[in-house]
Parts: sequence; C-alpha cells; structure tokens
Amino acid sequence: MFKLIGAILLISTCGYVGWQVSRSYAHRPVELRQFMSALQMLETEIIYAATPLPDALSGIAERVDTRVSSFFAQAAKELKTTRGSSAREAWSAALDRYRADSTLDRGDLGILNSLGYNLGISDRDDQAKHLRLTLEQLKMAHARAEETAVKNVKLWNYVGLLGGMIIVLALY
Amino acid sequence: MNGVVQVKPGMHSRGWDEVLPVLPPNLEKMIARLPDHILARLEEIRLRRDRPLVLGAGGQDFFLRRDGQPDSIPESAYITSGDDMEKVIHNISGASIYALEEELRNGYITLPGGHRVGLTGRAVLENGQVKTLKYLSGLNIRIGREIKGTAAALLPRLLDQAASNIHHTVIFSPPRCGKTTLLRDLVRLASSGVPQLNYPGRTVGLVDERSEIAGCYRGVPQMDVGVRTDVLDGCPKAQGMMMLLRSMSPDIIVTDEIGKMEDIVALEEVFNAGVRIIVTIHASSMRELTNRPALKYLLQLNIIQRFVLLGRSRGVGTVEKILYGNEVPPRR
Repeated sequence: MFKLIGAILLISTCGYVGWQVSRSYAHRPVELRQFMSALQMLETEIIYAATPLPDALSGIAERVDTRVSSFFAQAAKELKTTRGSSAREAWSAALDRYRADSTLDRGDLGILNSLGYNLGISDRDDQAKHLRLTLEQLKMAHARAEETAVKNVKLWNYVGLLGGMIIVLALY
Repeated sequence: MNGVVQVKPGMHSRGWDEVLPVLPPNLEKMIARLPDHILARLEEIRLRRDRPLVLGAGGQDFFLRRDGQPDSIPESAYITSGDDMEKVIHNISGASIYALEEELRNGYITLPGGHRVGLTGRAVLENGQVKTLKYLSGLNIRIGREIKGTAAALLPRLLDQAASNIHHTVIFSPPRCGKTTLLRDLVRLASSGVPQLNYPGRTVGLVDERSEIAGCYRGVPQMDVGVRTDVLDGCPKAQGMMMLLRSMSPDIIVTDEIGKMEDIVALEEVFNAGVRIIVTIHASSMRELTNRPALKYLLQLNIIQRFVLLGRSRGVGTVEKILYGNEVPPRR
C-alpha cells in the first residue's frame, strides 16, 4: 500500500517538474509576442503622438498583458522618480528586476536591453529605426522560440512522467 | 522679455526654485547656496559646454567659482561639462528628445512655471529649413517672473465704457521695454474684469506664437492670463486669429509682435467680425511704425483707437504716451 502511494507521489512530482520546464518553453514565445505588441505601441506613441517616455511607458503598462505590464510600469516609475537618470539606466534597471520572473533567455533580454541605449535620445525618425530593428530581432527570436517550444514542450512532459516511472521501476 | 524685467525687490516671485531642479544635483546645490539677494534677482543661468557657467542677475552677469562663490573673472569659474549638459537636457525633455522637435526647431523650450530654456547647437537642415538641432552645446535658462498689476493704471484709458469692452489697442515700444509683461497683465484684466471700473471681463482669445505671453507648458498657461482666456499656443498669428474667430467666439483677440502683411489681413477679418484687438508691435516711434508698409496699411484702416508707447524713462514698462485714434494724423 505504502509502496503504491510512494510510487504515485514520485511519478506525479517528476511529472510536475517536467511540466514546469515545458511550460517555460511554451511561455517564451507568448512573452516575446507581448513585448512585440508593447513595442509597437511604443512606436506609435513616439512617432505619431510624440508622447514623452515616462507617459508613454506608463500608458503602455496599462494596456498590455499583466506579465509584461510590470516591466513597463517599473521603467516608467524609474524615469519619473530618479531625476537625472537616463532612459538607458531606467530601462536596464527595470529589465534587471523583470529578469527574475521571466521566461525570456539571455539573447532575448539582450535585444531588449540594447534598445535602452537608444531610447529617447534622438529625433523621431531615428527612434523609429531603432524600434523597428528591435522588433525585427524579436520577431526572429520569436520564430526560434516557437521552434524550440514545439520540440521541447512534449519532450519535457514525457521526460517528467517517464523519468518518474523509471525511478519507480528501479526502486521496485 | 518674457517677464524677465527689473522691478523693485519684494515684487519677485521665487522663480528660481522652480528652475533649479532641472540642473544636475551638484550645480543645483551650488546655486541654491548663493546669498538670497542674488537668488531673488536671478534671471539667467547660462550653460555652455566646456566653458564657464555664467549667471545673470539684476541685469549683470557673473561667474560661479568651483567653491560656489560668485566671481567676476572667469579664471577659476566652474566649467560646464558635457555630462552637466546631458543631464539638463534629459531633465527638460523628460528623457524624450523626440518629443521636442518643434521646440528644437524654434530654439526654446517652455518649462513648468512658464520659464524658458533657449537652446543652441548644430542646426540640421531639410530643404533649407531648420529641421532640428543636434549637439546641443548652449543652454540659457531664463527665469520668468510674472508681474501683476502693471496694466492696472493703463486699463481705464483703454476701456470703451459704452460697449463695455476694450478699445482696439496697439502697444508699441523698442525691444526690452516690457511689452510682453504689460500685454500679459492687460490680458488678465481684460479677461477677469475689474469691478471697480464697472468692467465685467470679456472672453479673450490669445494667439501665443512664441509661448511668451501665457508661458504654456503642454498647452496649459503657466502665467495668470485671466479666467475667460483661451490660448492657442505655438500657433502662427494669422492662422491662429482666424481659428479663434471661427471656433471660440472671442470678444477680444490678443497677439504680440505683428508686422507681416498676412497678420494685418487677418486683423481686418477680426475687425469685420466686430471683435476688439490688442496687439503689440516693435517700433520706437509713430514714424517708425508708419515706415513699415504693412503697418502703414493698418493705420490707413483708421480703426485703432489707442496707441500706447512704452519706454524705460522711469524703469522698464513706463507708459510714455497714449495716443487716441483721432489724434493720429491722417495718412495717405
């Protein structure tokens, strides 16, 4: 009886771990898409409305999905509260905070971080170029993320469950 | 002019404490430590990249030593660094240079409180027109001070009691005689009304092409321009007058520094609509006024009832002369 309960616990735990790993793979493309639509909003704000960055960022935070929203809210807050800190500093500080509970990998974060170097410091045409470049790069990252997601989501679900079963068998 | 005129101490508002926060912390501290009598008269803070910091107060300028003491020689003066410039530009633009294209083209930015920052750098041209400025290397932070009451003595002579409105008025003077300051106060009184004069106040439409009269920050006047005043900020005068006429049904239309023929044509439309005008003109005498073709035409219309000449004979903003329309000799 105890053996049976132990086996079920072991299998479900391993299954859960596998599911968690697979979920992070499944979430990365979603998160990238959210960033892409947020940056598209930022582009509109900058190019057509010429909204100053703090306002533009907090406006976006209100409109995008909760996960990405926290990043934009943080960046806006950094810009508004710390006087004299540049947009680059505010952007990367917000990104540092965001990193912890994100499924983005280092490459994705690098793309976003490099946008910060150019944000707000030039005229509208130039801002548009940098935003488009970032969007292009995110698009490519998104395609790659989709690919790895297709491969890994199923894989890790199985690895978790099967791994649990193998351990159970080995222990019997 | 921008309200930066000399008046007796005590009439000043504390403009400087609204301006200092745009400076980098080290400069802010240095300037805030200056003696009160200098701070109270502080008019300008000039930052030039890699050159000494210059402050202007009471019509004179001086340097600031690295230890924060005012000094008249530039040798030991604080040198404005590139980093200082960047921080100031960051602060005045809200970290968004792209939002300032129009301002960069015009060469100045209005701050909250109606203060202005003049800008120089390298002009970027497009089709022979200045598109924007880059490599900003010179900043002049001008502390605007609103002086209320300068037009109070003048107003009774401009009032048309029969119509309970203001006569068509032209204010003219050489530069730096307080035209804008006087005009701003006149707008305030004409709009809010003066019960003692039995004048209830009228709807005023103000075309503020250079943001000098109302000192708008994001469209909101930072100076008191009266309760019944609509401000078209940054709008070309001739177009702005027509827009106000069509959309806001003003009783009085106000603008400054007219002189082009298109301005006069727009003014004619305003006259025809039965709306009163108050305008300012750069000119030091009636003769100079009539020498300019557009203004000569305006006089030939024979519709302006009050000409106010300002000077500095008893300080900035002295009303030297008020001519009535019928006193102006007829012109061919």
